[in-house]
Amino acid sequence: MERDPDVVTVYTGRHYGIEDVFDQFTEETGIKVRFTSGSDPELRERLVAEGDNSPADIYMTADAANIDLAATAGVLRAIDSPVLEAAIPEDLRSADDYWFGLSERARVVMYSTERVTDPPVTYAEVGDPMWNGRLCMRPSTLPYMQSLTAALIDQFGEDDTRAMVESWVANDPLYIDSDVDIIKAIDKGDCDVAIANTYYLGQIQAENPDIAVAISWPDQDTRGAHVNVSAAGITANAPNPTGAQQLIEWLATDGNGTFANSNYEYPANPEVTESPIVAAWGDFVANTGAVRRLGELNSTAVDLLSDAGYK
Amino acid sequence: MVVLCTVLAAPLVVVLWSLVDPAGDVWRQMWETRLPGMIRDTLTLVAAVLTGTLVLGTGLAWLVTAYDFPLRRVVGWVLVAPLAMPGYVLGMVWLNTLSDPLGARGVRSIWVCAAVLTFTLYPYVYLFARAAFREQSGHAVAAARSLGCSPARAFWRVTLPTARPSLAAGAALVAMEVLTDIGTVRMFNVSTIADGVIRVWFDNGDRDAATEIAVLLVGAAVLLITAERLLRGRARYASTTGSLPTPPQRLSPLGSAGALLAAATVITVAIALPVRRLVLWAQEAERNDQTATVAGDLGYHLGNTLRIAGAATATCIVAGIALTMVVRRRGRPGRVLGRLCTIGYAVPGPVVAIGTVVLLTTLERHGLLPGGMLTVGTFAALIYALTVRFVAAGYQGTDSSMAKIPPQVVASARTLGARPWRVATRVELPLARAGVLAAAALIAVDTVKELPITLLLRPFGRDTLSVWVWQATSQSLWSQAALPSLAILAVGMVPVAVLLYALERGAEVVS
Repeated sequence: MERDPDVVTVYTGRHYGIEDVFDQFTEETGIKVRFTSGSDPELRERLVAEGDNSPADIYMTADAANIDLAATAGVLRAIDSPVLEAAIPEDLRSADDYWFGLSERARVVMYSTERVTDPPVTYAEVGDPMWNGRLCMRPSTLPYMQSLTAALIDQFGEDDTRAMVESWVANDPLYIDSDVDIIKAIDKGDCDVAIANTYYLGQIQAENPDIAVAISWPDQDTRGAHVNVSAAGITANAPNPTGAQQLIEWLATDGNGTFANSNYEYPANPEVTESPIVAAWGDFVANTGAVRRLGELNSTAVDLLSDAGYK
Repeated sequence: MVVLCTVLAAPLVVVLWSLVDPAGDVWRQMWETRLPGMIRDTLTLVAAVLTGTLVLGTGLAWLVTAYDFPLRRVVGWVLVAPLAMPGYVLGMVWLNTLSDPLGARGVRSIWVCAAVLTFTLYPYVYLFARAAFREQSGHAVAAARSLGCSPARAFWRVTLPTARPSLAAGAALVAMEVLTDIGTVRMFNVSTIADGVIRVWFDNGDRDAATEIAVLLVGAAVLLITAERLLRGRARYASTTGSLPTPPQRLSPLGSAGALLAAATVITVAIALPVRRLVLWAQEAERNDQTATVAGDLGYHLGNTLRIAGAATATCIVAGIALTMVVRRRGRPGRVLGRLCTIGYAVPGPVVAIGTVVLLTTLERHGLLPGGMLTVGTFAALIYALTVRFVAAGYQGTDSSMAKIPPQVVASARTLGARPWRVATRVELPLARAGVLAAAALIAVDTVKELPITLLLRPFGRDTLSVWVWQATSQSLWSQAALPSLAILAVGMVPVAVLLYALERGAEVVS
């Protein structure tokens, strides 16, 4: 592999606005960023298969579980960076510094403001029979759905989580493989209640501020709404680990606002303020404590979803 | 033969290696949960799409070869155009268009999915059927007609049975496309076995289990190949004389109107309405200044698509011809082996891609790849994986045209002292060139549309049109996916035109 100190190579499963962020980094540092995109797990498999030959310096995901599984598979290296340790809260990075969360998103209950006056206020209430035939969900192929389930297992245990997922399934959800389409389906009346990621609502509100869909923050009396992170780590065989570390540090500090706000996510760096659209949703209790455990609970979550008959 | 076969099948052998130590637990768990539904959905979908494509493809082919009506030639060409339409693009358009009348729930059904696949895949059957109807000797049909058969009866009793090998080849291609599709079925919530392989692999992170499920697909492909062989039977239909096909029967004005209406309906559903929708979306993207990605504009993606599709097609054709040549010298066992080593067509793209990655990195680690060539992330590695996936079309195309060459012709050449290689290059290949060109066009269209392998293995700076479509659709940005989708269609029309030209020429030479 070429070892050009002025180029950092990124495998990224996170797509939104990534180009502008990298361009800005190049402008400020002179280090070029080249990247290839794909889904989180496909890129992880490619990293594992490439082994020593991988040209990648950084693996970036839109989900904590996939990057943690990559660390377990041995394709990441620990990062020794006082800058990152100062910038990123402990809950949002791996225990042994293999990966650092750069932005947060919550996976929450969304509902039609026109047809629903009393939306579910817990994930469990989404399984209430009153939502039968009125529910939209993402299929379980989506890492976010797996991680939500993993966080619920972390909080409630396997049996209660299975019962919860079964109650969702019993409501005969309409599975739509796109959060954007799910939110639009609520707006159009194809369903009344759904579980979706916050930033998709931000994207839609940026174009259509009056969309008749709102967030109901779930589990606010217990551990809080499920949050997940966009995260990055340096590969075990990175040809340019110095440049890679520089990029991740920049993304966690000077670039964190651009990185998170261009996609209506919550900046992981507490010093950085969120975008006005996101701020308008108000404060909420976030279950950040589960983020580190999403990787280890992933396979249990996938099996549970499958067992419960979730599509 | 052995070397060629090994090279073509190696990435799949690597993947199938996991079968050495099967995991009973996974099977039991899968069987208790998703597997029965996956098998049911797969069988339903394959049956529905096969029925749809056979009816549509054979019917339309018969319409344009047996009957004469105004614009017949143009209709005959235009009906091939949906070949250039990727399933994921047609699916995206119809999913959006039908969401209003059918509802978000109603549109996500196996039947709408089957319809979408039918309208993108029927040209395979149509092409094979049309070529077969044209290449057929007119004598047999004329004889049947002179014995009092009506045109319809002659069709059922003579034309259709004679075209059976070609129909079977077309149907086999369709079935394999359905078995390995991932993009379209996911859009419509249809859980096929291919989808299951990818789920288990990437969601459960269990490559071994995924491989074991992939074996179901390989098994299905072997069944299909066997079925095709049985359908062909021992029949050999070759014509020794250069007779012209039966002249098409002129249709009454009413009949002509009906024929044109039928063709127009198919084209409207498969091309015209989707193109209109895509153009509207593209205009919306244009207004919002979203007609490029950061990697580059239309020209950049187009260039990469042409380079990759061109190289992959050339490699597939060379490998396909080489394989046909060696296989034909070895009779029946050779043919079985030939089919087995082109089984990549029955394996979903991502499985081929990962198999290639594992193979190449293992070879590299042992220093068996000369000087960094063919390492993952190179252009050559991508072309290799695409060849493994698509060589079957090259092989099948060559093989089935050669099967139609009268044995006497080859025998005469041999009697006159020509060596097998000379017979192959001077007699068999020229006679089979219509089939070879048709195969090249099919592969070119397939590689232009191809997504999973290109996505996983493309070198840096080689984003294609299909990758652009994926990047936009994976974020539900339909309007931004429109321009590259239209470009894929436009590019795909070139091999389609080449194919038509070849068939026009080939028909003169072969029949």
